[in-house]
Amino acid sequence: MGQGEEIALRMVRMTKQFPGVLANDNITLELRAGEVLGLLGENGAGKTTLMNILYGLHQPDAGEIYVNGKKAEITSPRVALDLGIGMVHQQFMLVGNLTALENVILGIPPRHPPLLELDSNRARFKKLAKEYQILIDPSTPVWQLSVGDKQWLEILKQIFRDVNILVLDEPTAVLAPSQVQQLFKKIRQLTEEGGAVIFISHKLDEVLEVTDQITVLRDGHVIGTISTHEATPPKLAQMMVGRPVSSKRKPRPASETTKEVLVVEGLCCDDDRGIPALKNLSLTVHTGEIVGVAGVGGNGQKELAESIAGLRQTTKGTIRINGELLTGVIRDPSLLGYIPEERNRTGLVDSFGVEENLILKTFDTPSFTHRGILKWGAIRQAADNLIEAYDIKTPHSTIPVRHLSGGNQQRVVIARELNAGPALLVSSQPTRGLDLGAVEAVHNMLLQERSRGAAVLFISAELAEVMALSDRIVVMFKGEIMGELDAETADVSLIGELMLGHREVFAVGGGTS
Amino acid sequence: MSGRGTKSFLLSGARELLFSGARPLFAIALALLTSAGMILATDANPITAYAALLQGAVGNFVSIANTCVRATPLLLGGIGVALGLKAGLLNVGVEGQIYAGAAAATAVGLIALPVPPCVHLFLAVLAGFLGGLLWAVIPGYLRAYRGISEIVVTLMLNYVGFYFISWLVEYPGILAEKGAVFPQSPPILESAQLPVLIRGTSLHAGIILGVILALFFHLLLRYSPFGFRTRMVGENPEAARYAGVNVTRQILMVILLFGGMGGLAGTGEVLGLKLRLFDAFSGGVGYEAIAVALLANGKPLGVILSAFFFGALKAGANKMQIVTGIETSMALVVLALAVLFVIAIGFGERRLISRRRKRGKDQAAKETQAYGN
Repeated sequence: MGQGEEIALRMVRMTKQFPGVLANDNITLELRAGEVLGLLGENGAGKTTLMNILYGLHQPDAGEIYVNGKKAEITSPRVALDLGIGMVHQQFMLVGNLTALENVILGIPPRHPPLLELDSNRARFKKLAKEYQILIDPSTPVWQLSVGDKQWLEILKQIFRDVNILVLDEPTAVLAPSQVQQLFKKIRQLTEEGGAVIFISHKLDEVLEVTDQITVLRDGHVIGTISTHEATPPKLAQMMVGRPVSSKRKPRPASETTKEVLVVEGLCCDDDRGIPALKNLSLTVHTGEIVGVAGVGGNGQKELAESIAGLRQTTKGTIRINGELLTGVIRDPSLLGYIPEERNRTGLVDSFGVEENLILKTFDTPSFTHRGILKWGAIRQAADNLIEAYDIKTPHSTIPVRHLSGGNQQRVVIARELNAGPALLVSSQPTRGLDLGAVEAVHNMLLQERSRGAAVLFISAELAEVMALSDRIVVMFKGEIMGELDAETADVSLIGELMLGHREVFAVGGGTS
Repeated sequence: MSGRGTKSFLLSGARELLFSGARPLFAIALALLTSAGMILATDANPITAYAALLQGAVGNFVSIANTCVRATPLLLGGIGVALGLKAGLLNVGVEGQIYAGAAAATAVGLIALPVPPCVHLFLAVLAGFLGGLLWAVIPGYLRAYRGISEIVVTLMLNYVGFYFISWLVEYPGILAEKGAVFPQSPPILESAQLPVLIRGTSLHAGIILGVILALFFHLLLRYSPFGFRTRMVGENPEAARYAGVNVTRQILMVILLFGGMGGLAGTGEVLGLKLRLFDAFSGGVGYEAIAVALLANGKPLGVILSAFFFGALKAGANKMQIVTGIETSMALVVLALAVLFVIAIGFGERRLISRRRKRGKDQAAKETQAYGN
């Protein structure tokens, strides 16, 4: 394949700042014709932003793009298409009521303007579809197509436009395993004809299978680019997860771990797109222990936390907390504390004051409501106490939380969720986006909860953090638990393998733990 | 350093508060100014025009009464829209709710019941409220359980309501007056009429009901768990669900309530002012109520002020027309401009704030960099 061939695309020192996030920081990458470049990174690493810049959907704050050696100003998708850059987005960009053919020619300027020339286009559609073994009738309305066919149509749409640089953003998310193989075949067909492909994914095995080069992004930076045949799963895992994983464990007292608090059995549920996210997952957390959930982001961790909190409909299996079967959202703060992954979207009403956010779940309990009337005096008193106890830095309890720093916002969530001393604490990515001091505070808080005797389920994509805090570690991959390890003796490379779904390693080398 | 930070923080909070209160007033001033330009363009003197307008709106007892009468349906309907806004819902169906409520109130108001007059009145008002509420069951169900936009459904139901009334009052409709020249209902029985507050004017008790309800809903939103849930759903439905709120039910209840308020707006008109039901009696007041609520930033107490403001505009417009020959529709132009300015100012503020925040962040970044080196 493409050794030393011409460079189809160069993106140099790309920088893009969003309010509060530096999404891309000085990213440089190269793509050769006839080659597949894997862009690897966790959710939020900056992959999609970078590709949206390439496709003209975002304008970079700094950086230059060269297409086929020529500098390009990509101000809109139109310009990108004219340069031969095509993109298949994570979500389908199809119009349900139009036919497959109409979707494909949508946006292509016709040669003789008022006429759509459906006949000649149909012939071309059929010819290309045959070449790429895409079995779609051009006159089928798109809403009748299966999920897989929609994905093929998206790709056909790009081929139809003669793109020579094709970006595929998480194209396998909606596909079944056999379809993934078909997709890889189509990708190879494209590169054999001289096209270049950028393949975005956070699934290591797929990237290893289909790419020639891999660029790993993390927190908006390029961590490194390596040739795929030199790449090994642990190496990639470490690049993705970040800081060299040192298992500097936090000191902890011994604790009683006799009583089961959270018992999950055979749990199944779907993600937002209706694709199975948890597959027959079982898990137990005892009093006085922290169970860390490791895994590359997007392997079902979010769905697991939401299921336990009662926010996600499960399709099979049971969840018991202190022996009680879970049936809906738990509002008893002494039973469950839940720190959600996206605090601003889920955990807080950011236009509400600190005090209102502190009573988000308890406003209608007798402490705060008397005969149907909110007791603002008592609410403010309670809020002031919590602000003091949890060291929330705010000038006043009525200030909208959106004015607080991320760390202080997280303190508001923590104060609310922990104040009643919950039997179970589910903590999902609690340190994401926080500065070092705030991270330390959250870690100490989790250990304190453990000492108090709470059962703590700690979900994090930062492996170092999981290893430092947990008593036991479970590793999730594609909605399943790959293995369970004692955190005291757990081996990083073993966890790395498990994070990639290499369960065999565990069977053979598992004895080490 | 942190002390200074806290102070500027408080200052910016105070500024924000001032902004939100002053925004409608500022918008009204801009609207009047812009309209003055338009009046000038028609070769009239804006000062004379506005003076006549003021005279007609608050010049004497009768004109003040007139202003209040005009404000009444805007107030009642506007509260309903404001309530919806708090829950993140846009109720553009006040007009239809007015018709539904008026029809129900009329139906009860026409029957001679063996009860004391005040009870009859109460029953008629209650019927009007329930009429609007039942009308809102359709958008309420569709929005809460089927996810269909309440905006589209309430808007379309306005037409249904309009023609429904036509059908009711056109002989042989069940509310039609036999032998009448116009399609209309028989007059409301005296026992079901809203009492006149000032003899010799048409000022009826509907305005009192409106002010009381504005206060009630203000307190409800601030001091009741129901209000807390409503605001939570409006600000962040995802967080509301996380906090255990039944979002679907809350949305349904808010829609039913605002339907009831729209119904009351129609009730006041038939039981207090028109004293019978007829074709197109509302004259688009339901649409104006939306603007009134928007001008008030969705705050029930603010609706009192903005309803009176617009009532005054409408009442004074006649006088303005007599004195200067400027069309009464100028009042609508002023209202529309005021709403547009409120929105524009809100937008401008947000940009200002985010720019300021960004600048603050850049500053902070620079400082940390300096420390780093």
